[in-house]
Amino acid sequence: MRYDTVIIGGGLSGLMSGIALARAGQQVAIISAGQSALHFSSGSFELYGGAEHPLEGIATLPAEHPYQKLGVERVAHYAEQTQELLREAGIQTTGSTARNHYRFTPIGMVKPAWLSLADYTPLESADALPWRRVLVANLEGYLDFFPSFVSAGLARLGVESSVATISLPQLEHLRKSTTEMRATNIARILEGDVLRALAEALNERVGDAEAILMPAVVGLKSDKAMFELREQVSVPICFLPTMPASVPGVRTQLTLSSYFQQLGGAYLIGDNVVRGNFEDGRLVSVRSNNHEDVEFRADNFIIATGSFFSHGLVAETNRIVEPIFGLDVEADEQRTQWYAKDLYARQPYMSYGLRSDDRFRPMIEGRPIENLYAVGSILAGQRAIEEGTGGGVATTTALYVADLILNR
Amino acid sequence: MDRIENKHYDVIVIGGGATGAGTARDCAMRGLKTILVERLDFTAGATGRNHGLLHSGARYAVTDQESASECIRENMILRRIASHCVEETSGLFITLPEDDLEYQKLFVEACGRAGIDAAIIDPKEARLLEPTVNPDLIGAVRVPDGAVDPFRLTTANITDARLHGADILTYHEVVGFVRTGDSIEGVHLRHARTGEQMTVYGSLVINAAGIWGYRIAELAGVRINMFPSKGSLIIFGHRVNNMVINRCRKPADADILVPGDTISLIGTTSTRIPFDEVDHMEVTPEEVDILMREGEKLAPILGQVRILRAYSGVRPLVASDDDPSGRSISRGIVCLDHEVRDGLKGFITITGGKLMTYRLMAEWATDLACRKLGVTVGCRTAELPLPGSDQPKDSEGRKRKAHIIELSTEQKAAEGRHGTMSRYIPSQNAQDDALVCECEQVSVGEVNYAIENLYVQNLINLRRRTRIGMGTCQGELCACRAAGLLDKANRCSERTLQDLRGFLNERWKGMYPIAWGETLAEIQFTSWLYNGVCGLDQVKESEGKPVINQ
Repeated sequence: MRYDTVIIGGGLSGLMSGIALARAGQQVAIISAGQSALHFSSGSFELYGGAEHPLEGIATLPAEHPYQKLGVERVAHYAEQTQELLREAGIQTTGSTARNHYRFTPIGMVKPAWLSLADYTPLESADALPWRRVLVANLEGYLDFFPSFVSAGLARLGVESSVATISLPQLEHLRKSTTEMRATNIARILEGDVLRALAEALNERVGDAEAILMPAVVGLKSDKAMFELREQVSVPICFLPTMPASVPGVRTQLTLSSYFQQLGGAYLIGDNVVRGNFEDGRLVSVRSNNHEDVEFRADNFIIATGSFFSHGLVAETNRIVEPIFGLDVEADEQRTQWYAKDLYARQPYMSYGLRSDDRFRPMIEGRPIENLYAVGSILAGQRAIEEGTGGGVATTTALYVADLILNR
Repeated sequence: MDRIENKHYDVIVIGGGATGAGTARDCAMRGLKTILVERLDFTAGATGRNHGLLHSGARYAVTDQESASECIRENMILRRIASHCVEETSGLFITLPEDDLEYQKLFVEACGRAGIDAAIIDPKEARLLEPTVNPDLIGAVRVPDGAVDPFRLTTANITDARLHGADILTYHEVVGFVRTGDSIEGVHLRHARTGEQMTVYGSLVINAAGIWGYRIAELAGVRINMFPSKGSLIIFGHRVNNMVINRCRKPADADILVPGDTISLIGTTSTRIPFDEVDHMEVTPEEVDILMREGEKLAPILGQVRILRAYSGVRPLVASDDDPSGRSISRGIVCLDHEVRDGLKGFITITGGKLMTYRLMAEWATDLACRKLGVTVGCRTAELPLPGSDQPKDSEGRKRKAHIIELSTEQKAAEGRHGTMSRYIPSQNAQDDALVCECEQVSVGEVNYAIENLYVQNLINLRRRTRIGMGTCQGELCACRAAGLLDKANRCSERTLQDLRGFLNERWKGMYPIAWGETLAEIQFTSWLYNGVCGLDQVKESEGKPVINQ
């Protein structure tokens, strides 16, 4: 099989570069193992969480950071483009590149964000909320949302709250199987009549609350049900992220992948690329688990396989490797240098990733591969969680690399 | 608390490990007014940090006949009185090509003398019985080894002590003694979190604090010739073997592989450490390498199995009183009557020994206490089953419950953990049955039962009582759910979140020595979720007051 570009990895960065290339007319294939970090995401994206104005803060990042390779202007450009492409794909977000907003977390903390899905209520400030009194609602038997922590967080910011546990008979059969009360399963049921029943129950309990805070368990395949519920309830609903799987995250993944396919892209899910065929410093083709007899040939390739937890990087007993091609990795040599003993201290392994040139081309033995690009969290030099840069690095590097490929 | 401070006890037991819990049970069963005080949580010391091996005694048969005989007697007793804590897996002692097969003869003879049923079997048969065993083995002996869950065992002893009227205080550290002349008359305690002090009075104090008993004795003004010996172990992510596998040679590092519940573990190393390290032990990379190297000799597949965590415990080794150098160490039981030894009335130390002999240690200490108090009631702990084991495993009642009434997976898991006490676990409705921990099948009902009945104040207590967070995900998904439930009981979200923060750090402590492969992937996921999505890193460690995550 022959494509213009083959992308390995179907998470946020793989999908964004795939969409950018496909809408420019390229024949693109994405080969994806399946779930991505989007399945566990908060449903908000971060550009840079360390400063109120992200673009100003980016300048302070170390030289090896992917943003520094891009430069602030490109970051700004591709950040704007991200929001447009998301809108085009059917994903409504609020937020701006110029200034962070804030989101409320499932344990009642406040965190900065760049773009938030429509489910969430963007907060103007980290220490003032737009309500005086709210209702925190949860579904009976749902354990991945924590009303008491949310209430305590609200109280810290001077907001009164009461907690309501909603028991819907329609969820009874989920509760019977003890492992079924998870966000995505609940979202599959919360449609039509069941959704109306939930709206009624919420309206009954709302009292004098100005808003309802509840877990983001509505609207898996599209955001239709989420908006429907909002229409049926008398006060605004602010959804909060839950423990995995994340309903807004899964929805984002589904929406992006179906938009990619609408644009003519081939989305091969449940498959793993296992090796590549190199000739004269170029990657000629790759082979996958499911298509042992077929070669995927392309002019350009993108590796977007993620960090350790997506298995884009693998720690062997005494070294860190990129398992598909054996690309050069930036990492400390000694195992004891990989980690800090305090979980909350800076963890060296977090910044490990692929060594790449200024066009994000990864290397083998110090020599860049002519037509292979790396995007997203597999790139070395970022500390996504600590800096609050995960989403931004994923999309800006993806869109930049797509431009490089298109303008070659 | 007033109630406790106004009482006068016959016996104050210091230490919430298996020995202390067993001693409190024995004392209470003989009608003594008893209180147990523990500076942290039950099983926080060596009891919760060992192999969980139900020794047949065979390991000691050649080198220490007395220990071997004690082991096999206690082994048979525990199968009866603590059936819900014991797995009768049986064990193998294998000889590898690099070992001397002559040792096997010596070994089997010594087992015979100690009363241990040791049968030489064909290596081929050994491979059929235990397919993971090293196929290169040249000799095999079958012995009545098994697995014992030290957390359950201790909890059952505590529960029974309480049923017999004993009082229990966790998170109360002994900071001094009430002393009149040459007589100990009570203990001063300090609460680990609040720092509040209180005094408890009693006729006798039994020091059953393991290695920490050295400092307790110092506080009382007497010296015990004790040496901390660190032993490290590795836990594997699933149950690799079904029988205990030992090396048939003189006891050495990393030569026992024990299956327990859903996991297997290999250990141990043995290193003398200074006293100031006993509360801050870490598994070193060298120890991990030794454990893996030797472990793969017992079962080669270990090289490919996911490692879950590494941890270490401290054995309290005791040298005889006339040997200050500490060379003549015995692993036998040491019961010190400080009135005779040091002229200090009202103070007894029970130490040495091992998890296997905790009951016998308790019996010796309680016998001595009874003699001093003029009580003539005999010991019955070897006959009366522990709560949870009041019906033998193969009894009609338990069979009927398991087979005729259809039990759900988590009810079976709870029955395994709590034995017949699982009847008190609420399972009235779907809410009770909702799963908190999927790896270990722990329900909301079981968590609430533990919070209400088993002295649970924090997530680590909960882990020790229910196995929450001990499974494959190491608390990644269940810790937050459990914290949500605990918060209902705590009514202090600030403290619960600090607890959650500390709990994940404690899990990490056992992960970083083996932070490669899936372990590194999992911890990155945990950080992504708890710090990235939730913002747990914003929770401040409490000021001044230590967060208790032990």
